[in-house]
Amino acid sequence: MIFVQQVIPYVALFFIFSGFFFLLVGVVGLLRLPDVYTRMHAMGKCDTLGTGMVLIGLMLLFADITNVTKLLLIAAMIATINPVVTHLIAKTAYNRGTPMAEGSFLINDYVASQRRRRRQPLVTEPEKGGDIC
Amino acid sequence: MVEIALYALVFGLIIISLLSIARAYSGPTVLDRVVAMNMITTNVVLTILIFAYLDNSFYYVDVAFVFVLGAFIGTLCILKLLREGHIL
Repeated sequence: MIFVQQVIPYVALFFIFSGFFFLLVGVVGLLRLPDVYTRMHAMGKCDTLGTGMVLIGLMLLFADITNVTKLLLIAAMIATINPVVTHLIAKTAYNRGTPMAEGSFLINDYVASQRRRRRQPLVTEPEKGGDIC
Repeated sequence: MVEIALYALVFGLIIISLLSIARAYSGPTVLDRVVAMNMITTNVVLTILIFAYLDNSFYYVDVAFVFVLGAFIGTLCILKLLREGHIL
């Protein structure tokens, strides 16, 4: 038991500094990447993972049931808020026509296909199931 | 030892926030600034929690929670303003 109590702060510091490493990687991506979409990608992934790991380390340090519950709630909030914000930023950038980096291209233009489908009613082709042998 | 490491971590978080501010200053579009401010918000939340541990004053955990919610609503309002031209 005493051994566990001695080991727990080191485990917590390992988690906290791993999370700090991911935050640093996210900031390097934010500074170095050429485009809004790629910067948003770096922010959304590295920030969520780094915050989660730092919060796990702080849970190990706090070791109190009420505060651990609150930290778990904060971790859940950030893990749901960051993807939502990232999605909305991507949608806003696409709707505003923000230019992409040179050499990048877009596959499967989903928004334009949805607009086209709404404008034209869907034409259903007759099935030709029985004729094929 | 843990306290010294946590103070170093707060220093690192401040440096990360300054680098994000550099991106927010030189970002070519508005959305770069939104992304950078989102990252600064996360760093501020972590800093508040670390100071809650260092001071043994656990009411700051509630402050961090409210800060997360407020930052989310603010980002949503900015993005809706950018998309539609009005908020309400």
